[in-house]
Amino acid sequence: MTLKHSKVLSARFDKENSQALAGYREDGGYETFLSVIKQKQPDEVIDIVKRSGLHGRGGAGFSTGTKWSFVPKQTDKPIYLCVNGDESEPGTFKDRQVLEFDPHQLLEGVGITCFAVRAKVCYVYLRVEFAKGIRAVQHAIDEAYAAGLFGQDIDGSGFSLDVHLHTGAGAYICGEETSLLNSIEGARPYPRNKPPFPAVEGLWGCPTVINNVETIANVPHILKHGAEWHAGLGHPEDPGSRLWCVSGHVAKPGWFELETGYPLQELIDGPCGGIRGGKQLKAIIPGGSSSKVLLPDEVRKVTMDTPGIRALGSSLGSAGIIVLDEDTDMVDACLNLMKFYAHESCGQCTPCREGTPWIVKILQRFMDGEGKASDLDLLLDLAENIEGRTVCALADGAMWPLTSIVIKFRHEFEAKIAANQPVGVA
Amino acid sequence: MIKLTIDDREVEVEPGTTILEAAASVGIEIPHYCYHPDIGSDGNCRMCLTEVNGNTRKLGISCMLPCGDGMDVKTTSPAVKKAQKGVLEFLLINHPLDCTICDQAGECPLQDYTYRFGPGDSRFDEDKAKKPKKVAFSDNVMYDGERCILCTRCTRFFEEVRDNRPIGVENMGGKSQITLGPNGPIEDPYQMNIIDICPVGALTSRDFRFKQRVWFMDFAESVCPGCSRGCNITAGAYQGELLRFVPRRNPQVNQSWMCDDGRLSYKQYNLDDRVRGARVAGEVVTPGDAADKLLELVGDGSSVAVLASTRDTCEELAAVRHFAETVGITQLWHGSRTWEGDDFLKLDDATPNTAGAVALGFSAVPDELPSLRGLIVVGEVDVPSALLAEVDFVAMQAAVAGDLGAAATVLVPGRTPVEKRGTWINHAGLRQQVRPGLDPGPDVPHDWAFWVAAAGGTLGGFPELTAQADAWSAAGAPAPVAAATDGETAS
Repeated sequence: MTLKHSKVLSARFDKENSQALAGYREDGGYETFLSVIKQKQPDEVIDIVKRSGLHGRGGAGFSTGTKWSFVPKQTDKPIYLCVNGDESEPGTFKDRQVLEFDPHQLLEGVGITCFAVRAKVCYVYLRVEFAKGIRAVQHAIDEAYAAGLFGQDIDGSGFSLDVHLHTGAGAYICGEETSLLNSIEGARPYPRNKPPFPAVEGLWGCPTVINNVETIANVPHILKHGAEWHAGLGHPEDPGSRLWCVSGHVAKPGWFELETGYPLQELIDGPCGGIRGGKQLKAIIPGGSSSKVLLPDEVRKVTMDTPGIRALGSSLGSAGIIVLDEDTDMVDACLNLMKFYAHESCGQCTPCREGTPWIVKILQRFMDGEGKASDLDLLLDLAENIEGRTVCALADGAMWPLTSIVIKFRHEFEAKIAANQPVGVA
Repeated sequence: MIKLTIDDREVEVEPGTTILEAAASVGIEIPHYCYHPDIGSDGNCRMCLTEVNGNTRKLGISCMLPCGDGMDVKTTSPAVKKAQKGVLEFLLINHPLDCTICDQAGECPLQDYTYRFGPGDSRFDEDKAKKPKKVAFSDNVMYDGERCILCTRCTRFFEEVRDNRPIGVENMGGKSQITLGPNGPIEDPYQMNIIDICPVGALTSRDFRFKQRVWFMDFAESVCPGCSRGCNITAGAYQGELLRFVPRRNPQVNQSWMCDDGRLSYKQYNLDDRVRGARVAGEVVTPGDAADKLLELVGDGSSVAVLASTRDTCEELAAVRHFAETVGITQLWHGSRTWEGDDFLKLDDATPNTAGAVALGFSAVPDELPSLRGLIVVGEVDVPSALLAEVDFVAMQAAVAGDLGAAATVLVPGRTPVEKRGTWINHAGLRQQVRPGLDPGPDVPHDWAFWVAAAGGTLGGFPELTAQADAWSAAGAPAPVAAATDGETAS
């Protein structure tokens, strides 16, 4: 496969006033929603999304339709949809595009998803730093209510839906889905232990579906064009069109909508204009910072789809591709990332709360000329004591770049140790 | 029922039982910090990780993970042991390790688990985190942020047991600490319980801190004398001085809690000046001479009443009743004290054995007082002045004489509630073991000994007395009296 530029999610981004309801409806917006709620059964919608092969775009990459099907069919409790727009993964800025440039696309997805999972209330959770996106989404919600697209008995269908915008206060942890629930509930946003899973016991103890902004934005297109259409986009085992964010040492960083399954090297060399200043590539962190680093050899052969990247032990995550050139000090880069995780660790559980600042202190010593040979195995052993031992995946996500950098760039750490000056010698 | 295997042992449990509970039911201990049987689990400490169905990549927290049919759980596998060492290492890197000056030392699960499950060494060469070390949460509770392991038992105690939130967690990650809320110092009258459930020395009692190393102290598993709830306690003393009460878990009575008033009531039992040796008209005599004088005064028992404290044990009251029956006294009254109870544990009746006194045939002082020739006061009791108006003599058994004791014709030494051995029957009819936390010495024998001797010694010693108390209380109790029970040793 090669690069297949697509215009699904971003089709309307370039239009003037693309956020407005009028333009969205002129382009056929909300027609799918209104026909779905009048003509389809919820389980039909779930089935279509299952067959479409849509996987979550938030990072974990779980089958969206399957997630929806976990909501109990028989329940006395209200069912909630929460849209996760707390986009804070380093190197990731895809949801932001949807929020700022086509919020009605998201809201139509919200309507269809709520119908499918039998939710009557949706919370759109946005990080507070997204000032422009928050304004755009709130305005879009207001427009949708005014047009009778949200509210009671929508267009005589008997389906009712309320949509609320809720903002966080900027903590990375609020993007963890159960922290997000606690944040909406007004509690300290500590992740919850699972089980119970949110599909059974989520917001206020009720069945809750939590999906990423980009995931939900895909839903209207799938319902409009059909499951088979979506399943035919990109890689057959991980189909779809995604917004890929490229940052770091490339000539032209930015977001690109591409079908899955393309060669990463082509994206770097082509649309991104190669490595900045004609330098050599040193490494790429492919899925937001919480994924294992790839070496140039691996970048040359990897295709950007789940099977392709898993074969190299890494993950697509949030599709935030961070490119590092030959001048990058990988120890310093690692320290930079670990400072982020230590700062953003919520502090609830022991290994992450105590372990991530310890790792920062060790890495800082390397930068201060005080790294020791024994530190390298210590770092890897600490990672073993953290990964898979915590409440949520924040710590796992912190350990993946750490261990992969220590293993793949061990020589850079060793070079720093060799260069250490004995104390007292200039 | 669900069947699973824990460390190769088959275990059968009710659905919903956690792995930790299932393991405990067959005597397998899984170390834990954030879980507490009376406030549940938060899943934050990660100390109780176990290997479920061979999955070593992700270990399960046994305090929250429900048992599943056919589960294979390992609590001592290499992966579990490594995780335990890892968690303890993490908990210790920023912990000040100031055990030598920490009041928790000697009864500290962080110390204990470190010895049993910890790495025995540290690989931490960095500077420890700095946090506030001496934060007064109230007049009674002091917080040390550096010792804190953030298990949140304290915040959850208030949320889940007391339905308020005077303290909470502030800041994130490694900077997290427990802090007072916007309303200032904790005012909750049960606040000192957070000191007991704190698994480290982060929360200390401002009353007890720096007073004594616990391994030098003597402990008695007993019952709080503060009110008729009868919260189970451990009384701690050092060289004859009582230093604290702490609650002892008894799910039937007080769970793991007690009120601060009851907890601090120990202070009144460290007596500077007490009755030692019997006296007749102020002159020191032998107990036998005092008994003879009392028998002479009592005569045929007519127009003599006994007013006994409801802090006395059933056994003491049985001895008093035995004496009364022997000498012909028929008026057996009890005197209790009251304070203001609350809607949780503290009850209005500020004495522990009113139910026992009633069961043993003692009744409240009648409204219409009969004409009395003599009054025998047993134990700490407020004597209505009208009772004393016309009597010819007062005899008294007490630890503290007071004005009445000083004026009594016969005065014999008595023991305080923390010096007694026997049983109390609480407000719900539960008979509980009382054990002496202090020994006042040979010149203050158990209260019952005087009455048995004065009655001619026919009842024998303590075992016979207990049997007699059993028989009488079984016959006389207004409500069924449960067999003597006891709480659990703190874990």
